[in-house]
Amino acid sequence: MSTQTTERREQAPAPSGASDSTYVTIAVAGNPNSGKSTLINALAGTRLHVGNWPGVTVEKKEAWFSFDGRGIKLVDLPGTYSLSPYTQEEIIARDYLVQERPDVIVNVIDATNLERNLYLTVQLLELGIPVVMALNIYDEAEQKGYRIDVKAMELMLGVTIIPTVATKKAGLQDLLEAALETAADPARRPKELHYGEDIEAAASAVERSVIGAHPGIGERYPKRWLAFKIMEGDERVLNDINLSGIDAAVKLATAHVADVHESDIETVMADARYAQAAGLTREVLRKPETKKKELTDKIDRFVLNRFLGIPIFLAAMWLMFKLTFDVSTPFVDWIDAMTAGPFKRWTEAILGLAGASDWMVSLATDGIIAGVGFVLVFVPVIFAMMFFITFLEGSGYMARAAFVMDRAMHAMGLHGKSFIPMLLGFGCNVPAVYATRTLENQRDKALTALLIPLMSCGARLPVYVVFIGVFFSAYAGTVLWSLYVMGIALAVLMGIIFKRTLFKGEAPMFIMELPPYRMPSFRSLMIHTWEKGKHFLIKAGTYILAVSILVWFLLNLPWGVEQRKDSYLGRMGQVIAPVLEPLGFGTWEAASSLVSGLIAKEIVVGTMGEIYVPKAGEEKKAAPKFTEDLKEVGSSFAVAVRDSAANVVSGIGISSITAQESSEEQEERSPLRRVIKDQFTPLSAYAFITFVLLYMPCVVVAIAMKQEFGTWKWFGIAFAYQMVLAWAVAFTIYQGGRLLGLS
Amino acid sequence: MNLAMMKPGEQGRIVRVGAIGPIKRRLMDMGVLSGEVVRVEKIAPLGDPIEVTIKDYKLSLRKKEAEGIAVEVGK
Repeated sequence: MSTQTTERREQAPAPSGASDSTYVTIAVAGNPNSGKSTLINALAGTRLHVGNWPGVTVEKKEAWFSFDGRGIKLVDLPGTYSLSPYTQEEIIARDYLVQERPDVIVNVIDATNLERNLYLTVQLLELGIPVVMALNIYDEAEQKGYRIDVKAMELMLGVTIIPTVATKKAGLQDLLEAALETAADPARRPKELHYGEDIEAAASAVERSVIGAHPGIGERYPKRWLAFKIMEGDERVLNDINLSGIDAAVKLATAHVADVHESDIETVMADARYAQAAGLTREVLRKPETKKKELTDKIDRFVLNRFLGIPIFLAAMWLMFKLTFDVSTPFVDWIDAMTAGPFKRWTEAILGLAGASDWMVSLATDGIIAGVGFVLVFVPVIFAMMFFITFLEGSGYMARAAFVMDRAMHAMGLHGKSFIPMLLGFGCNVPAVYATRTLENQRDKALTALLIPLMSCGARLPVYVVFIGVFFSAYAGTVLWSLYVMGIALAVLMGIIFKRTLFKGEAPMFIMELPPYRMPSFRSLMIHTWEKGKHFLIKAGTYILAVSILVWFLLNLPWGVEQRKDSYLGRMGQVIAPVLEPLGFGTWEAASSLVSGLIAKEIVVGTMGEIYVPKAGEEKKAAPKFTEDLKEVGSSFAVAVRDSAANVVSGIGISSITAQESSEEQEERSPLRRVIKDQFTPLSAYAFITFVLLYMPCVVVAIAMKQEFGTWKWFGIAFAYQMVLAWAVAFTIYQGGRLLGLS
Repeated sequence: MNLAMMKPGEQGRIVRVGAIGPIKRRLMDMGVLSGEVVRVEKIAPLGDPIEVTIKDYKLSLRKKEAEGIAVEVGK
């Protein structure tokens, strides 16, 4: 049982029981908002391994470390209010506890909200697995003048209870010690709480008739828990044990209980469990006579105010949006400039020295380095967004935002919490899709993710800007505004359609706790942000790089292709062009540009530049100067840091949204602008930018959707409906415009 | 009288939870049970959902869900 062997066991298969393993498995369970994730972060910190529970999108955190010479495997169960099998989180937590039987459960409890938290504890005790309780947020309870009789509580529950303050790392050593002691001592089993004569009698009857007749079942499940689940008619359990022939006895026993209580059995059981939680709370908790006006109430008087609520919310959102994109933009630009500049030059030089052929250099620079750069530019945005989202959630404001906006979002079949991901979509759809994880319900998550691509992201702006500059410069603002509004209007429309078709019959609900405001710990914020950013870099980065290289091949194959028209991309454009004919831009050039927009919509402009504007001879390659480049890398990073900080301070105007091109950009693109003027009419140009707005999410969004949902299904649906929508809307605009005599 | 009809500041006792299926179960898990005292705190700026205090914590729910919760308002 040496610590060295247990330190690194990430690759080891999960053991199914305690006896055959050399380390102690600790499962951490608790309510949402109980400070559970802060506690996990404080215990495991950077040793946390974040993944998904098999087959679902719920985050799974695990850590392996040693303490007191013992190896520990820490498993964070999803935050739940109950172990009833109605939400994905509850099913995961429950299945893990029942099937994997951890050595000990650490139950994290919010000491300021004992009764509701104890409801979960009562259910955990039914499992018969040893429990240690972390009486968390204990400092706040003390400040409120709560006196909790911990000794009495220990006696009544038969578990060790440690007061903790996870944000200050207080009590955590004791907690781990208690967990290890409890796991090692078979005598420390939690008490069986008495649910009342009739329920207990029925449970014994069920236990005798079912488990007595099928001893195998009794070994797979905790007996008492199983008896309750059979009584409650829990479908998942009943299917699993394949109960038939004996349900007559069960029905009789439970029907009697329900009759006595004049209610249904589920309500009777919930009542019995809450009665335990309430009784316990009454026994151990002493509250001060006079209740102080709490900070949360004071803040909510403004934040949820009838008149101020929405302005405050909008101001908070504006600030978050601005900070997310203004903080990250200078870094994005820096990464962009570096990969396109010095790194590209160095690679060219090194490969040149090594005697690589032109196509190899091109693959390395235009394919691989461009691809890597493309992955990296998302990183600052994702880090910034994750930071703010985690802050909003951890502080308790997210729930208020949902409360304020729910009515409006509900109209299009969404949840109040959907607003924030949708809003982020205007900056970049990718972090927006990741932000859907704040939604608890799978239905709400999926519907939100499907509508996000209709929010016009920053990458579509360069395309609009070029076309608006050529055709609509006199009323640029109005045209640009029309595109954003069109996206929103279509999102409302699609939301209503999806609500009635794809998600028909799924009951949406909004039953949400408004937790007290709390300052999230900085450490927790950073760990969360880092984990998300890392996850994106590794998982999404690989895909994006692969697609980027693929597109390079599409552009450059077959070997030795001279004309873009003959490359695979050009040929694809020729095939697709007829489909776009009725929309007013049925040329292979336009079609190929749209195909290349698969990677990111701003690439449409770049590809158009390459295709439409013949190359003006080989550009002269300047000899790279390493020292100067290196200086540039460093100094421009310093500029990025300064700009980012300045953006936070200045706080006026959203710099990322503007319809103006810099004069430099105009200069650069003037040949392209001339060609566009020849190739498009104002009407077909407007149809084209509408098509760019709507036609499909980019590959990074696709990957984000795959990551968030664990399946390509939702991206598939988004792709299909957007293609149809884009074609239909562009068709209507072009043909309708022609009927009206426009051109 | 149901929970959706109560005004901010009013307090009442839950008589019956009429919802069915997952919504009922979720309400029960959140402590919305008959016999429980519930107090309406606020109504959202756009008129829905509502915020209530129950079991010493704050819960928000839509009026549609609150309609199924029968209450008797204390004198």
